[in-house]
Amino acid sequence: MTAVTSDATGTPRWLTPSPRNWRLALLIAVVAIPGSIWLAPGNVAFWISFVAVSAVTLAVTINAWGRYPGPLLVAPAIALLFVMNIFPLMWSFGLSFFRFRVNRQAPPRFAGLDNYEKILTDPTVWDRLQTTALVVVFTVAIQMIVGFLLALLFEKEFPGRRVLLMLVLTPMMLSFVAVGAFFRFYYEPTFGLLSQAVRLFTGEPFILLKTPAGALAGIVFADAWMWSPFVMLLVLAGLVSVPKYLYEAAEIDRASWWRKFRTITFPYIRSLLLLALLFRTIEAFKLFDIVFLITDGGPGSSTETIAVYVFRVSFQFFRTSQSSALAYFILFIVIVLTNLYLYFARQRSQEA
Amino acid sequence: MSILSVTGAEKRYGSINALAGTSFEVEAGEFYCLLGPSAAGKTTTLRAIAGLETLDAGRVVFDGQDMTGQPVQGRDMAMVFQTFALYPHLTARQNLEYPLREAGHDAGEIRQRVGEIGELLRIAHTLDRKPSTMSGGEQQRLAIGRALIRRPKLLLLDEPLTNLDAKLRHDTRAEFKRLHRELGMTIVFATPDQLEALTMGERIAVINEGWIVQIGTPRELYAAPADRFVGTLVGAPTMNLLPAAGSDGKVALPFGEIGNGPWSKTLADFPAETELLFGFRPHDIRLAGPEAGPALRVDAKVHLTEPLGDITVLDLEAGDAVFKMVLPEEEAVQYRVGDRVAVEINPDKTLLFARDTGAAIR
Repeated sequence: MTAVTSDATGTPRWLTPSPRNWRLALLIAVVAIPGSIWLAPGNVAFWISFVAVSAVTLAVTINAWGRYPGPLLVAPAIALLFVMNIFPLMWSFGLSFFRFRVNRQAPPRFAGLDNYEKILTDPTVWDRLQTTALVVVFTVAIQMIVGFLLALLFEKEFPGRRVLLMLVLTPMMLSFVAVGAFFRFYYEPTFGLLSQAVRLFTGEPFILLKTPAGALAGIVFADAWMWSPFVMLLVLAGLVSVPKYLYEAAEIDRASWWRKFRTITFPYIRSLLLLALLFRTIEAFKLFDIVFLITDGGPGSSTETIAVYVFRVSFQFFRTSQSSALAYFILFIVIVLTNLYLYFARQRSQEA
Repeated sequence: MSILSVTGAEKRYGSINALAGTSFEVEAGEFYCLLGPSAAGKTTTLRAIAGLETLDAGRVVFDGQDMTGQPVQGRDMAMVFQTFALYPHLTARQNLEYPLREAGHDAGEIRQRVGEIGELLRIAHTLDRKPSTMSGGEQQRLAIGRALIRRPKLLLLDEPLTNLDAKLRHDTRAEFKRLHRELGMTIVFATPDQLEALTMGERIAVINEGWIVQIGTPRELYAAPADRFVGTLVGAPTMNLLPAAGSDGKVALPFGEIGNGPWSKTLADFPAETELLFGFRPHDIRLAGPEAGPALRVDAKVHLTEPLGDITVLDLEAGDAVFKMVLPEEEAVQYRVGDRVAVEINPDKTLLFARDTGAAIR
């Protein structure tokens, strides 16, 4: 393999035709693609663009082949990431500053911060945020308590522990859709298990999702059922990392159960509890699937979380650019939470 | 009066017999050593005394009360662990206060006791630091302080010197003796190091494979080991052991015959050609004088020299046998590898073991 050099005639090397001359291919593509879009009909322009992009890719690949194996290997992943994640992200960010609806023919019109102003002054958004906060507070609190107690239970050896542990961990590994569908049937008024169980006592079918409070409880219960094992797993990791001899020393020192817990156990699980708290808060904040499947935001809009509201704005009301702005607003909140999470994660690793 | 007695203690972990009927008694105020190689059952014994292990069989009687099956909290003992087991998230002061907290001492007394212990163990300057920022020696003294602060009747020490470097270990040995003298506390000290046991222990129980092999003062263990195991465990450099055969009250060695040891009378009752191990300590060999005495004279060749500073260990070769001898440095300096040297083995200090059972013959 020899590098491309300028030939005897003195042509600059980026103009020399060669299968590996990606600079030339890029130059042709940069001219050909806008040119064809401008001059040629749509379908012809598409194919010209397709061939040009392929040619650039091919030239880059041939040029890198054997010389830069590392970059070449990660290139497809980076390309995919760019096309599927980064580009849409930038695109939607751009859209949030325009006035645009995806179901209209009208081209986007620049609107500055109008969309942001609109969502921040929209009482519906604040109402949905309140609903979300309610869900987050209840589901995270229940997950933390149940997960913590489960961890205390599973810390000790007892017959059947392994099997039981696997069963307890199962909900976490199910897909959201499966959990949502399951709970939908579970809460179903006529043949749902919950309703039938209540009917044994009251004689009346029980419609949990009829009242706003009931629907909220149903969602919180389903989410807590699914994610308590996650908290348990984290806390359990902390509990088993406590050296056993510390408990023995404390026993010799005649410490009470509570004192042992406070001075020995808790310091080992404190940071893990914080991580679990933040992680679950972030996740619960984005809660969409379970709500969408179980109540679809109802009754009325009493259980409509902010994530469900974004979905409605973008795919039912088709206010595309406004929903982009809303999505970025949520992203901002999640980034703040995530940075908190990273901060505590770093503290944890410094302790160790 | 014995303050602690362990009788027929047995403990099994799966197929492993950690303790196979251990029995011993500790007198009040005694510095008692449990000496044995790793996995001999020392730690298990201490843990059983403290109540951290439940015995499969046997009894632990402490201060006139049967403690078998009693919870740890009911026993007036403290223990220093090999790992120190300091509470990592508490400061040194909080570690020291820990055992006092539940007992309902008032704040003034707690402060006073912490101050005393800090002075006694010379850790007063580190009291506000976390254990992880303290040196190995400070951590170890803190661990001892935490054990002492409640003023328990019995202090259990599980290889507390193993995690220290050699210099520190030497200083701490002296420190333990000082503490024992000043506090007059009963101490049971487990160690794999014969030097620690000999220098500190008032009585030593040698333990091997869950058995007490011999109990005695350091002198007794050194001079009259019950068997080959104790003989080779106690004393450094290790006792020389040579295969030998006995007949008519005499022992045939690779380099001669010896007939006037402390074992002569007993050996006379043994059948001829009994297979024996002949033991003598490297310290009981001298350079031969000009006139022949009662000692066994051996003409040997220097095989190897190990200078240790003030003394030198010579490996000598005679017949097919190789044995060690300790010489003061100034005498040893004249010998090179390959030199011939005449030495005398003091017959009074020689030991004889049966080759099959290892039991001492005397």
